Amino acid sequence: MLILLTGGSGCGKSSYAEALCMKLSMPRYYIAAMRPFGEESLRKIARHNTMRRGKGFETIERYTDISSLRLPERGTALLECICNLTANEMFDENGTFEDPAERVLRGVDALAAQCSHLIVVTNDVGSDGFSYEEGTAAYIRALGRINAELARKADHVYELVCGIPIVRKGVLLF
Amino acid sequence: MILIVGGEGAGKKTFAGKLGYEAGEMADACVNELPVIFHVERMVLACPENAEALYEILLKKEVVICNEVGSGVIPLDLKDRLGREAVGRLCIRLAQQADAVVRMVCGIPSVIKGSLPETAGEECL
Repeated sequence: MLILLTGGSGCGKSSYAEALCMKLSMPRYYIAAMRPFGEESLRKIARHNTMRRGKGFETIERYTDISSLRLPERGTALLECICNLTANEMFDENGTFEDPAERVLRGVDALAAQCSHLIVVTNDVGSDGFSYEEGTAAYIRALGRINAELARKADHVYELVCGIPIVRKGVLLF
Repeated sequence: MILIVGGEGAGKKTFAGKLGYEAGEMADACVNELPVIFHVERMVLACPENAEALYEILLKKEVVICNEVGSGVIPLDLKDRLGREAVGRLCIRLAQQADAVVRMVCGIPSVIKGSLPETAGEECL
């Protein structure tokens, strides 16, 4: 089962995703795509680590190429987040500008095939109405396409608003 | 307390009007005795570290109106990023305490938590 969670910055996606995982089958894997770079990302990672403490997650850091990842056992995986993963595929030293959407989507497919429940966290970055230089514009387009395709594949899609899940596809499970 | 969220120009204040509040009862990003406050996001973005103090004050309001600012490209400026995050986190806490949360899209209200007071009437929705 694939569940896609979307919503703006600070809307409660991570807490909701973890709460969902707690209700689904063990073992639990947390696949972290945020590269620890700079004080701000370290703080964010620390905050997420604290939130997950004692919840039985095995953390796997994977910044690009999710499709080559092999999970030790079938269970529940939380992939956080598609925004970072896509940016890494496009702009990192190991990243490639060539078809990042294809790489990300292939990665999610490969992961979904290895677990009973996959929860994927993403964000909507295309709604601020500003024009950006070509690199950023390409990123916005790629992420928009990835999100649409993930939603098509997903069994359930929820948008988080003020910590409240709004059902965009499927049904509320819990 | 009723929390009303939505993008800029989504019809949040108009909706508060339908709940029975007049324009003169709505405070624009300032703390005073009026029952309604709007542009809470501006107060947080201007000073993210004040979110905690603001939270206690907002709980005592009848209606709290806040723009959703968490979507769009992540801002380059650190203060903008922290502010955006702080607005989101404040809204989560307000929503937890709110009797009702209304989300406005294109002027259309969705009650995403609780229910509106009976005095609000069917024509609100």
